[in-house]
Amino acid sequence: MKVSYNELQGLCRKAFQAMGFEDGDASDAADMVAWMQLYELGGLAALGRGLDFLLADQGERPPELVYSDGDLAVLDSHGASVLKSSTLALELGFAKARARGLAVIKIRHCHNRQLIMGYLARLAGRGMNVTAFWRNAQAPDGEARTAGAEQAAATPLIEQVVGFRAGSSVPEIRVYAVHEVPEENEPNDGVTLIMANHVDLLPSLRSEYQLDLLARHQESDLLACRERAMQQGIEVDDGLWAQLKALATRLLVESTEASRSGAGAGTHDND
Amino acid sequence: MRREDLASRLSDVEQRLRLRAPDEVMQLDRLGSLHASRLSFVRSLVRQMARQRWQISTTRFELDAEGHGVAIYRLQTPQARYHGVIFSQPLDDAARSDRVIAEAWDVTFGVVEGDVDDSLLEQMAANVPLQEAGRQHPRLLVLSRANRSLRNFAAFLDALCAGRQPDPAWLTRVGYLYRTTAVYGNGKFGIADFDRLKHNPDFQRPFSTQMLAVYLLRHFSIEQIEHMARARAPGSAVAMAAPLRRYLGIGNSTGLGMAPFLINHPQLIQRWVESREKALAQVSGQVPGEPERQRLVALVARAERHLAQTVTEDSEQSARNRETASALPAVRAWLEQVPLAEELWQELIDWSRQTLSLEAQELIHTLLLELYPEIVDPFEDQMGVEEGLELTPDMPLVRLKQLIETHYDWALRHDFGDPEERYWFWYRSVEKEEPRLGVRDVEPGADRELKLAIAPRVADTHGVIDDFLSAHPRALVVEFLIHHPRHKDIIRRIQSMAETPFGEIRANLWAREMKPMHLLRTKLSFFGASRFDPKSDRWVRITLFQGAPLVEELNAEPSDLIDFDDWSFPLEPDQDAAGTLKEADAQPRQHAGANS
Repeated sequence: MKVSYNELQGLCRKAFQAMGFEDGDASDAADMVAWMQLYELGGLAALGRGLDFLLADQGERPPELVYSDGDLAVLDSHGASVLKSSTLALELGFAKARARGLAVIKIRHCHNRQLIMGYLARLAGRGMNVTAFWRNAQAPDGEARTAGAEQAAATPLIEQVVGFRAGSSVPEIRVYAVHEVPEENEPNDGVTLIMANHVDLLPSLRSEYQLDLLARHQESDLLACRERAMQQGIEVDDGLWAQLKALATRLLVESTEASRSGAGAGTHDND
Repeated sequence: MRREDLASRLSDVEQRLRLRAPDEVMQLDRLGSLHASRLSFVRSLVRQMARQRWQISTTRFELDAEGHGVAIYRLQTPQARYHGVIFSQPLDDAARSDRVIAEAWDVTFGVVEGDVDDSLLEQMAANVPLQEAGRQHPRLLVLSRANRSLRNFAAFLDALCAGRQPDPAWLTRVGYLYRTTAVYGNGKFGIADFDRLKHNPDFQRPFSTQMLAVYLLRHFSIEQIEHMARARAPGSAVAMAAPLRRYLGIGNSTGLGMAPFLINHPQLIQRWVESREKALAQVSGQVPGEPERQRLVALVARAERHLAQTVTEDSEQSARNRETASALPAVRAWLEQVPLAEELWQELIDWSRQTLSLEAQELIHTLLLELYPEIVDPFEDQMGVEEGLELTPDMPLVRLKQLIETHYDWALRHDFGDPEERYWFWYRSVEKEEPRLGVRDVEPGADRELKLAIAPRVADTHGVIDDFLSAHPRALVVEFLIHHPRHKDIIRRIQSMAETPFGEIRANLWAREMKPMHLLRTKLSFFGASRFDPKSDRWVRITLFQGAPLVEELNAEPSDLIDFDDWSFPLEPDQDAAGTLKEADAQPRQHAGANS
């Protein structure tokens, strides 16, 4: 079915509130999902994949600041979704870059990393150049090493770079597969971000390694997606939509005769 | 000399010096005393339609004798074409409710961008009558519905069938044949996002498409009832006389549903209130001539008669109307007696503040705005804003604390431990998500409270910041938030709104003495509502477009735009012994600065 952007954002916000997100986190998470969906980057699909995880994750352990100095910080999300845990880490990077010109932030152990893009858009809107880097998947740890280089090449490492120019609402995105998996291949479920006040940090593929470009989204393509969404609405999966609606109803309060009578006109207005 | 030649715009500095203090303007009881003004959205729309020569025509009018069927109106602007599509269907009396929880209505309608072909019409016919339960088309800019005022409808139909004009007193009691019960825009139920109109010069102002939908419904209500009269009594039926048509508006029935908007869009509210205040500041510094003085006297007389003709069963609102109307002769006397000083308007504002009720004061302000269209009207283009509350993470926390104490001091004045100060909570009901108020610790739902009360949140955050600062005096806002993330939302709001003082309604929305009606009136006044008729402390009926120029007057491309725009505070048409109706004349309509 087709929905509007406002509708998508509103329903996601209510669903996140119902999942126990604080108000600020719920609206940020909703913006992140809706932003990705608006630009046809699969925001709802990413949410759908992470929804069971989010519902199961009732942990109240906030992201922990592991290390911080003037222009560098490392945070541990303890496996939480970026929807819940990344915005303050990003704001910390923003503050450091404002003060020092450039800052690097590493968020360790986070989930749903794709969805971080929407918040980067927001920082870019506030005049910051932002680039995020993460490795999407990699050869299963032990197997690849023991099976040798040939098999490792068959299960490539996928890297993703998302770069926003300051002031731009859309990023340049590159997703590519690296065939030569490095010797050091620790599990990587983090995101690394670089923010700079004054210089663009847009992705531009130059590598001596063998790379397969899997996806390339240019600013102009993404703007066309937005225009399409405004003209035709945004396609959503009926099942997921129904699931979000069902979640959102958790915030609603049962009706009583007293509450009904106090809220508005009569139930019969034949005057 | 033309009127505009007499006016000159004050400098920004002088304008700022003359602005009223936010602590005065943003009090809830004052906002709840506002009247529609020439900056209200209905007025702006009518001016724009006339200035740009918008044309409205009927492209389909397929109604049966009972008035049921489909009507389509075409709107042609210099830029583009739109269509108003109205579905009228039988409605069982038992199902007629003004509440959002209703599921069927006398008419349902929408405004479409572009043309309506058969497939779109079919899609709309299947979904528009369902309203919230339908899946609406993305080319719909507005979705709405309305119910008949049964008493007026029957009386009007009987009279027109019998070949006589309906008694205009009917419209003085209830100023419409239809009242809308919701007018949806901005992406609701699948319709177009407001963002789609961002670059469309026809509808850039907030709520302008919604007001257009209501204006088209008004035209339909006239055409429909005349059609029904002709069908029922072909030999005797007459058309409605022009003064009566003009005196016919569209009602709106509104409950607590309006309240969340005011709190959730502080940047928009800032624009609305600030624009009005800046316009008032400009007017207060104008040097009046005798024509302006006489024009204001005439406007006061018209408003006085309008208020005397305003009927409400609500005893409090009746008393407020009486008090305002009874103060106005003194205002006219004051105006006629004082010397024509350079600072006359500022003196009038100061005198009103000391002497008159809040509603009367705000009425004077509304009328003053009428005097200087050239200065006031440009502010209508300031009513919209790209919204977005943003964090400033690198702000020193101590600076944030200062901002709260300077700009949100009003939020720190309450004792939220006092049961009277934490009496209400806001929530959404399972019934169509209708916003409601419950009594804390008595009614269920406080655990799912809507966080509309800003003051207690600010006070809570202020306390936590205070504690944090004693251990971390040099902390930044983001460092505080990493330790206390639940304050992110309210801090973002405070940082975004601190320098924009007209965005926050300065009230404790938990307090037992808080009157939700004031919230409704605040928004409705900016829409351009008149005949404010509270039905309880939580819902109200109002009238829009009563007195507004008719579609045929618009289509005739009026040459005198100032006269076309002069329709505030409409009066009941006079009826002579023969039953002929003519426009009421409270006072000779003398335009300030008219050719002399």
